[in-house]
Amino acid sequence: MDRRTFLAHNAAIAAVPLTGAALTAATDTAAAATRPAPIDFHSDLPAPGAFPKRWICGSSSCMDNTDPPVQVHWYNPHTAILRQNKAYSYEAPFAPLYFGNDRVLLLDEGYVQLRNDCDYRTAVDQCIDEWCRRNRRDPASLELLVAFTHLHADHYAATNQFADRPNTRCMGLTHEEMVGFWGMTNYPEQRVALDLGGREILIWGSPGHVVSEFAYYDSYTQILYTGDMFYRGRCYISFWQPWFDSMKRLIDFCNTHPVTHVMGCHVEISKDGQDYAYGMTWQPDEAPVEMTVQQLREAYAHAQKITEPGIYFTGTVFLCNQTRGTTTIDRNPYRYD
Amino acid sequence: MAQDSTCTPTLAAKPPERPFYPNGNIALGYNTPGVRHTDSAVPLHRGEPVVHDYACDGPAPGSLSFRWTYGSNVAAKNRDPRVQVVQYNEDTFVLRQNVCVHWEAPFTYLLFGNAGALLIDTGATTDARHYPLRETVDAIVTRWCQARGRTSIPLTVALTSGEDIAQNQGLVQFAGRPATTVVPKPLAVMKQFYGLGSSWPSGTGRIDLGDRVIEVIPTPGSHKDGVSFYDPYCDLLFTGDLLFPGKINIGNDRDFLASLERLRDFAASKPVKWLLGGHVEMMFVPGRYYPRFATYKPYERVLEMTPDLIDEAIVHARAVQGKDMMLIRPDFVLFNGVSPDQKTKVWPEGVPKIDAPHPF
Repeated sequence: MDRRTFLAHNAAIAAVPLTGAALTAATDTAAAATRPAPIDFHSDLPAPGAFPKRWICGSSSCMDNTDPPVQVHWYNPHTAILRQNKAYSYEAPFAPLYFGNDRVLLLDEGYVQLRNDCDYRTAVDQCIDEWCRRNRRDPASLELLVAFTHLHADHYAATNQFADRPNTRCMGLTHEEMVGFWGMTNYPEQRVALDLGGREILIWGSPGHVVSEFAYYDSYTQILYTGDMFYRGRCYISFWQPWFDSMKRLIDFCNTHPVTHVMGCHVEISKDGQDYAYGMTWQPDEAPVEMTVQQLREAYAHAQKITEPGIYFTGTVFLCNQTRGTTTIDRNPYRYD
Repeated sequence: MAQDSTCTPTLAAKPPERPFYPNGNIALGYNTPGVRHTDSAVPLHRGEPVVHDYACDGPAPGSLSFRWTYGSNVAAKNRDPRVQVVQYNEDTFVLRQNVCVHWEAPFTYLLFGNAGALLIDTGATTDARHYPLRETVDAIVTRWCQARGRTSIPLTVALTSGEDIAQNQGLVQFAGRPATTVVPKPLAVMKQFYGLGSSWPSGTGRIDLGDRVIEVIPTPGSHKDGVSFYDPYCDLLFTGDLLFPGKINIGNDRDFLASLERLRDFAASKPVKWLLGGHVEMMFVPGRYYPRFATYKPYERVLEMTPDLIDEAIVHARAVQGKDMMLIRPDFVLFNGVSPDQKTKVWPEGVPKIDAPHPF
């Protein structure tokens, strides 16, 4: 049994309560009888939604931070966006939580491993409970898919917090398991569709920042989630040609599909384009996480002129072409002659 | 059996055998130089303030053997004191800002004499609720005054650099404090205050605390208004941002070298036990350091530096002069004209490359 089957197998067992199969079948039919009509994710697209005016963005003194470890913003009634608190992890990644009639997709799990330190699991569970209460659904009837954009610890560290959650499948932490999780056989070109129960998520490969990265498009809100390959901050491009090809793939996708917002995993720029250095725990004047397709196109146009390694500002993002991992743009402010 | 010499592995870096005295070393005698400078046995009913004798042969005894608070994995959950106070001796205190209040975690020094107290540097946070420096200093001063049979003592607040926001932010907390002199910040006014108007940077200024005269040595280099302080009682040299076990961002490489040379000449003419800088960023393994903004530094190097590190710093300040580069040494890293986050693959020759254990 490989790891993936093993995880699915366990989830299937956990879904059956220990009170006996016959009783379960009876409650299942009862639940089905009372189950409300499925939500329609196909008409009136794109589904309206809103990003917050301002995200929680750290504090001048970390130990005096009283904000929740994970901020939950409901973009619309069926889409939550989570952000980790800067005082719990300076990476403060953004993570969407997409609800469908049958399953829930969590993309990215933050940078703190222990539940004791930062309780990501409870934040997600509470979102699912809230959604179920609003839609008169039983949380146990929803499957949770715990996936991530790419193979970096600030995006998967809390995956283990979901290991004992019933009816849950977690993406594995190798390239093979990631690609296999979405059933891809031709990464990165192949585009697969994930059905959350009436809500389709399109997924394809987006290497460049790292080898193992995906782009996710939600057909309901029409948000294109680009991970760390393209976000409002310093896009660390480890492999130029694959990154450029991935950008081309994103542009091609935008040419054929309606996209409302392009969203990355982090924000590292202020509203006036000033760079927040790597590791900062307070970004009081942070730019919004969402970007427009136009900004993506501008970045692509700018990237076409790049031939050398270096740092380039496209007007929206910094493209750090093959610079080292934590490049920052600032200088020593106390230089003098 | 005689051992075959070819079979003996060469231990290049074997530490020398250190003698161990579980019951004390009788050879040192009972009254080491400096013991008379611990005046714990103050009279029970004092009629007048205790006058302390700050004259001493050798450095006044003191100890920094206490671990500094080092932040926590999740900064929001840190519950360490906001200001850690370590008493070096009865008249010398070292204060450290909590790493989870501000990542710079600067050190602040409080020295007492018979006629005054001196606070060197003020920390990186303005807000007294987050960083109650004034409150802490007031408490130490009150307690010290009680021990010495006094009602108050004037305080001077001086900075190793007026422009450094990692050290000058706490200054506002002392606004309006009675009997307090704050050394003015702009460079020109500061020179006047120390009496260095015409002799900057070659002269030295003085701050007389009453039988304990702190010398002020101009040391621009990291900051254009940088100064160092020398305490002849404990033989400590407070070097601020000029030389500390961490990432030294050079502001001007000519000034930096000149200041180090001035400091070397000064240290040659006066006994210096330790250099105490403004921060610690190195790990306890050679040449490794914490990144900027780190709020968890469990493997920090100790704060104190021996004076021979001035010579090492001079050699390597020459090496980086006029070049945009960074240079790693076992006890400090020099950054000249590059980003504070610059990295290099160049590793100093002969220095063992050890990874500090990775915290969970």
